[in-house]
Amino acid sequence: MELTDTQKAILDGEGGRAPQKAMALIVRYAGVLGAERLCRVTWADLFCGAHHYLDVAVSDDFDRIFSTMALCTTQAARLEKMNRGCICYSGVEVDCTELPGHMLAGPNRQVQNLAMLRRFVDAGVVLSGTCVPYLLGFIPVAGEHFVSCESSAVLFLNSLWGACGNGDGIEASFCAAVCGYTPLWGLHLPENRRATHLVAVRSRPESVHDWDVLGHALGRQLPPMAVPVLTGDFARPDAIRLKAFFASLACTAGTEICHLEGITPEAGSIDQALGGNPEQGRIIVSDRDTAESVDGLNGNPRGPIDYISLGCPHYHIDELRRIAAFLDGRRIHPDTVVHVWTAGPFKYMADRCGYTETIENAGARVLTGSCPSTRGYPSGVRTAAYDSAKQRLSAAQETDAQLYYGSLDQCLQTAISGTWEGH
Amino acid sequence: MASIVIRGRGALGGVAEGPALISRRTITGWGGIDVHTGRVKEPGHPLEGMRLKGSVLILEGSRGSNGWSIFFHAAQVAGFGPAALVFPHLDSRTAVTAAVLNVPMVTDLEDDPFDIISVGDRVRVDGDRGEITLIGGSGDGGCRCR
Repeated sequence: MELTDTQKAILDGEGGRAPQKAMALIVRYAGVLGAERLCRVTWADLFCGAHHYLDVAVSDDFDRIFSTMALCTTQAARLEKMNRGCICYSGVEVDCTELPGHMLAGPNRQVQNLAMLRRFVDAGVVLSGTCVPYLLGFIPVAGEHFVSCESSAVLFLNSLWGACGNGDGIEASFCAAVCGYTPLWGLHLPENRRATHLVAVRSRPESVHDWDVLGHALGRQLPPMAVPVLTGDFARPDAIRLKAFFASLACTAGTEICHLEGITPEAGSIDQALGGNPEQGRIIVSDRDTAESVDGLNGNPRGPIDYISLGCPHYHIDELRRIAAFLDGRRIHPDTVVHVWTAGPFKYMADRCGYTETIENAGARVLTGSCPSTRGYPSGVRTAAYDSAKQRLSAAQETDAQLYYGSLDQCLQTAISGTWEGH
Repeated sequence: MASIVIRGRGALGGVAEGPALISRRTITGWGGIDVHTGRVKEPGHPLEGMRLKGSVLILEGSRGSNGWSIFFHAAQVAGFGPAALVFPHLDSRTAVTAAVLNVPMVTDLEDDPFDIISVGDRVRVDGDRGEITLIGGSGDGGCRCR
């Protein structure tokens, strides 16, 4: 492997112990991949805070936890600053801003979480508290190298903006942010970004829900590591539709880049997307495939709903506007808890526009910073409904509740009636 | 029975052996592993209930969240990590997992291990030579996965 003098100096400890340990992990990662060089990382979307898996480190000392779990070393190294020149976001956090401590495992966790976040702020990390950094100033431009702990963000940033990043993992993202480099491999190289599979979309997706379902239906069919390019007779999707599509596709197939003919920048045409390579396969997504996805995610008939979680990925301000318009003057069923998740800056806008007041007057809560997957579920939930395939799939791993999946309208109607009417 | 050798690229050096924890269907990291016991807890997964500790973990690839490596890593820190890893083809998430766990690891395999190795078979991973060896079927190796 070829390291520059700057990279060697970091590895030799000239930049301090934490960057040295971080570089050691990055070099080992590059070795596993067979990468020949590293590339400079200028944006890092991390996963900061007292997440539950950190309990295995059995310590209250930030530097010990960070060294063990992020830098992957048994020798404690103090985190001073993230790499200069790398803009760092905290990512979605373990606690929510509006109901702090509400679902965390005891007061100690809340104290530990706040203390950890403070250390990250001291190191130069911005508390973004969201899974949609790309809607909030996290803007690696085409060809710029980023890391992100959020699978849907990796897919969005690669596909829609032409920025370069791999799925990596939480440890490698931290190490890249601390030492400033990541292996030049995978989607950091232009030749690996070309389409491998042609996808004919015959389901005519229109709504956000249609695109959310499409991501799942396509994800079920895609082989590992495939780079799809979508073609078909469908209306041009906007960023909100693609946000939903990329989230369900990423969590179903692990896809990290997906082209759309005539829409994404590396796919002005099918030929451009393929980049001169022969296609490795063709996939058709039909109405039957999308119907099967909906059935698979929601095999449940009519029934009462205890909990509805909306906003995965975190809602854009326009989605909050739509919810406020629906709920204006209505009242959510007293037995149904409704949480609407968004990013802090969008809630600020919603507050100013009066959307938050309208939504909360109806009986729902607008929450920021986290989501049920990272902070846990309210106790006593037996039935839960979602408008996101990702959230629905994630919930299956974390709760024994009976799970429902449908469009935002369907979820909002259920919020009013308290009962899921089937699909 | 005679041992069977599958050749590939040794991505992390060292030699380790243990019972195979193998599935063509990969495990979801986030929510798929109980880090406090090292057991697979993904509902309906063929390896559900089995333990990572001391195993040779052989998976096709990663799936789901980018929080994939951290769950195997956390299980290792808790004392329940696998002895060795085999990923027939690498993606960035499996590669991070290998780099983080830093146990013997072989990739880029010449043969399909899912056709050759079964859960509980005794397997040796030689990361220095880039070889995995099926030492014995479950009758010989003893399935200690449960």
